[in-house]
Amino acid sequence: MGLRILSEKERQKNIDEKRSALIAQLKGVSKKFKSAKSESLHNINLEVYQEDFLSILGSSGCGKTTILKMMCGLIKSTEGKINWPTSNFQNSSENPANLSFVFQEPNLLPWMNVYDNIKLPLKIYKENSYKADEEIYDIIKLVGLKGFEEYYPRQLSGGMSMRVSIARALVTQPKVLLMDEPFSALDETRRFDLSQEILKIKKEKNLTVVYVTHSIYESVFLSNRIYVMQPNPGKIFEEFDFSNQEKPEDYRFTPQFFEQTKIVSDSLKRAQNAK
Amino acid sequence: MLNSKVHSILVILILFLIWEIFFHLLNLKWYLLPPPSMIVSSIFDNAHLLFISLLTTLEIAIFALILSVIISTGFSIIFYFSKFVETTLTPITVILQVTPIIAIAPLISIWVDSSEIATLICAFLVAFFPLLANTIAGLKSTEKNHLELVSLYGANKYQVLRFVVIPNALPYFLSGLKISSGLALIGAIVGEFVIGPISGHSGLAYRIIESGYQLDIPKMFGAVFLISLSGIMLFNIVRLISYLVLRKWHSSYQQID
Repeated sequence: MGLRILSEKERQKNIDEKRSALIAQLKGVSKKFKSAKSESLHNINLEVYQEDFLSILGSSGCGKTTILKMMCGLIKSTEGKINWPTSNFQNSSENPANLSFVFQEPNLLPWMNVYDNIKLPLKIYKENSYKADEEIYDIIKLVGLKGFEEYYPRQLSGGMSMRVSIARALVTQPKVLLMDEPFSALDETRRFDLSQEILKIKKEKNLTVVYVTHSIYESVFLSNRIYVMQPNPGKIFEEFDFSNQEKPEDYRFTPQFFEQTKIVSDSLKRAQNAK
Repeated sequence: MLNSKVHSILVILILFLIWEIFFHLLNLKWYLLPPPSMIVSSIFDNAHLLFISLLTTLEIAIFALILSVIISTGFSIIFYFSKFVETTLTPITVILQVTPIIAIAPLISIWVDSSEIATLICAFLVAFFPLLANTIAGLKSTEKNHLELVSLYGANKYQVLRFVVIPNALPYFLSGLKISSGLALIGAIVGEFVIGPISGHSGLAYRIIESGYQLDIPKMFGAVFLISLSGIMLFNIVRLISYLVLRKWHSSYQQID
């Protein structure tokens, strides 16, 4: 079975079947910013299941980032509900360790070196019970930053800074990783390398990832489920599921990959013109 | 860096030399424009007197600076937390800033008995505002992304201040301190001019007035020279502090290699 568009009925069936694996659910979520005339997001219904690599794909300005920020409580929704059935926080970051956010830019604090930047969440989260240095060094090694602990952000390249940012997100041992176009500023090669590594880390740590992107290739390559969004106001246009599909080692260079990219690309095109 | 410093010192020395040569060539009156050699020897002749005055002036300037640091940091943090206090008090600080210190100094000298404390108040009033304004600007310029980052992990107000807001404000504070270091000295001199000699051991401003009475122009130049020297010293101390604090991460100290 390849990739297919889910109908509303199939979606409902999915929710019933995989209820126990449901990690987050957005129900009829809308957002209207105070300064805006109309809604930025309208009636978003979205499910995240355990160990999903879920991509939210859409053009710039369609509210992808807003969805992510609402999920982690940085922005409050105007309408609707965001449920986290398996964890005890509701629409806010009451349990921050379960959830981490990777920003669009590395967003490092320039006055801290790599090590302190990575440790920052722990310093905030459990001020008095610092995790053993070893565990931090493990994560530094995992993202390939060994030997750069003492470097300051201004001394790092874009790709390196992003690695620090990912390490910082991983240091709290989150179950869910929210990523907001994390590699959009990197060149093709770096982006591919880091995507590959994210998949590896996801597998190793049994992470659930929600990934916001405008890159069709990235979303098809990385995810098992894709939500395509339409703009003005932001809505979910179509949902793709290819959970049942095995991705071969060189997936990126298979005809299957190009075929699926085309399907998603067509969907995105239709989403642009949808009312 | 070092090279350019050597160059500028060299240029100053050459200017002094030209001054010296022209003095002898044009046969200028020493009591109008003494040559550098005479100024230097006058500084040595009056070394003890000038040195004590230098210390007095420096002491007032440095105290005023320390006082402005403490009070302006305190105020700016209060302003940061309370919009109400900020909007209420800002006009007052502006009034204090825009009123020339010369105009207020006589009042201060009437209210305060000790001429030393009166001068200190003058120096403080001048040095305080740039530091306050800069620090507030620094506290307010925190990046939204950084704030979101720490609030994502549930940081409390104190943690936000400690991890993000204060480090972010440091470069602003330090550049304010550079301005204030010069102004504190100016305040200390102007204050003494208006208020009168500081009891016991007068500062450099009084040495200038005194030299005027005695028509000892070389000594007057000597006092002026020492004032500039202490200004340069204060500025460089602040610059050194700023370098030590920021060199590792701030873009103004970016190493190009």
